Amino acid sequence: MKRTLVVCALVSAWMVAMQHDPAVAETPLGLPTVVHPSDNAPSDAKIALGKQLYFDARLSVDDKVSCASCHDPKKGWSNGEATASGVGGQRGGRSAPTVLNTTYQRFQFWDGRADTLEQQALGPIANPIEMNLPIDAAVKKLSAIEGYQKQFQAVFGSPVSAEGIGKAIAAFERTVLSGNAPYDKYKINKDESALSDSAKQGMKLFFGKANCSACHVGPNFTDNGFHNLGVGMKAEKPDLGRFEITKLEGDRGSFKTPSLRDIARSAPYMHDGSLATLEDVVEHYSKGGIANDYLDEEIFTLKLSGEDKAALVTFLNEGLSSSTYPDVSAPELP
Amino acid sequence: MKIFKFVFLFVAMAASSLCAQDGPAMNVIVGDLDNPCGIAIQPETGAIFVSDSGASRIVKIVDGKVEPVITDFPVDIYGKGPKYNIGPLGLLFIDQNTLVVGGGDLIDGEEKLRVYDLKDAKLPIKADQMKTSSVLAAAGEEVKGEGNFYALAKTADAIYITCNGDDNKGWVAKAGFKGSDVASIERYLATKEATQIDAPVGVTISPRGELVIGQMGEITVPNDSLLTFYDANSKEMLLNLKTNLHDITALAYSNRGQLYALDFAWSDTKQGGLFQLLADGDGVKTKKIVALDKPTAMAFDADGSLYVTVIGEEKKGQLIKIQPGL
Repeated sequence: MKRTLVVCALVSAWMVAMQHDPAVAETPLGLPTVVHPSDNAPSDAKIALGKQLYFDARLSVDDKVSCASCHDPKKGWSNGEATASGVGGQRGGRSAPTVLNTTYQRFQFWDGRADTLEQQALGPIANPIEMNLPIDAAVKKLSAIEGYQKQFQAVFGSPVSAEGIGKAIAAFERTVLSGNAPYDKYKINKDESALSDSAKQGMKLFFGKANCSACHVGPNFTDNGFHNLGVGMKAEKPDLGRFEITKLEGDRGSFKTPSLRDIARSAPYMHDGSLATLEDVVEHYSKGGIANDYLDEEIFTLKLSGEDKAALVTFLNEGLSSSTYPDVSAPELP
Repeated sequence: MKIFKFVFLFVAMAASSLCAQDGPAMNVIVGDLDNPCGIAIQPETGAIFVSDSGASRIVKIVDGKVEPVITDFPVDIYGKGPKYNIGPLGLLFIDQNTLVVGGGDLIDGEEKLRVYDLKDAKLPIKADQMKTSSVLAAAGEEVKGEGNFYALAKTADAIYITCNGDDNKGWVAKAGFKGSDVASIERYLATKEATQIDAPVGVTISPRGELVIGQMGEITVPNDSLLTFYDANSKEMLLNLKTNLHDITALAYSNRGQLYALDFAWSDTKQGGLFQLLADGDGVKTKKIVALDKPTAMAFDADGSLYVTVIGEEKKGQLIKIQPGL
């Protein structure tokens, strides 16, 4: 009896620890364990701080734009528009990539110019056409808010800093996970009822004739690489994407392969938001992308039937939509 | 179970030390090759054969000079920038006179695995004067054609060939052989389905007979190459390890049982070179032996010397000899 009590106590303590330590929080079905940088271990307080910063428009020059403005949980952690919008209604040339599962991405931004979420988090704050607040000014602004002063001290043991802002936002973003989809239940739990017949047909096409898994592979449905699909290449001055970072000729017009988790929520699609629907996306691939000198070798005419296309869209819509989608609301701000 | 397998697979690695701190003694045997992409050492004679791929020929190295052996392969282009002309790729002797050549010169589905009988042949011979050849053609809408037969390795009765065709599957192909007769190539092991990482390229057979694959990964993604061990007969994956290398192009065991990899490092070729792969807990760690400029293939000779092909600068590809001791 005594032994049973001891075991129960240990289990209870462990469960309490599970509830309060996000580092060991349950990872959604189908996803690997999140790896945290050794210098940015997560804690409840840090994630809470990061969440506040993520939703705080005071990180923009006019107090009107937050991270969530373009990466809105209600819109698939993107913004529902073709391109990102910043202070004063300014528009960038690229769409706002979803934050969902971005922790698993090898690179951040469409062109992969940031290696880590910590680096990425600071970029839009200072970007003149996004939040337009120089990092030094952002630090000064937050330092004037008593609640943030206390939280940064509690979390980092130091005053508000650029490094702390980046780490806190990154720690929060590492909790934004999409798994537990019907595809995972079908594949991992062997639940035959998890996918409709049409979705199963779409899945077969996805991993076969339609060639989707040549690039959209693995738990996060991305190879983490960069590919030229021809999108935007007919423009007078095309966005050259990855080439601007690497200067490798073969990278011209290449952009990062996005995750497809909960893809139905984050229309429009492609790096420039030029395709409004998943039907448009499937049609783009079916016709072999848009020809150009740097078109990826994995893009070729697929000759998909109407039924094939419909099944693929069904798989993307039904199969990859999470039953535990992180529909996060804005927290109370200090 | 995993740990048990791991110990056996890597047991040879822990036994011996590396070469000198300053790197191994090495010298350039030939320095004017054109995208050399394959190497084989002839049994009995020890002669070195190289795929002078961009020059669409296979050459034999004699006293530091190249002697054409098989010429006039078609030429294809690999990559979108940088671009490389490629013809023959992987080479393998299954006996003294039978040379198997993996093609890179034709489109997927038409690419040939060519078998040449060099005995009594009046050299050089033309590429189409092979004894036999076979292809992995497309079949219907589901099965894509295969091409770019990068590298070859053999067990007692089968040749294993890394392929680049269906990027949903990542096939390692197989061709059985008996004596000097080589059967048709067939799809064998879908490595991408097994590992979720693209492009099997390096291949070797471990001293215990396992099929060892270097999964290159995406050329635009650094550090994503895998080292994967399979039971060659059952196809069971025994180990799948992240190497932190960028783009493995070749694997080889030294005569002392040490495992080495070549890393092409597409996105930053200054990072490329010859690496030793060492057991590290339940993973693998790498030790850079020497920096090499876009290395592609390697083979140890009977004395323990290592021969490596590197692409280097345009039309200045090299065959490098690294002295015994690895």
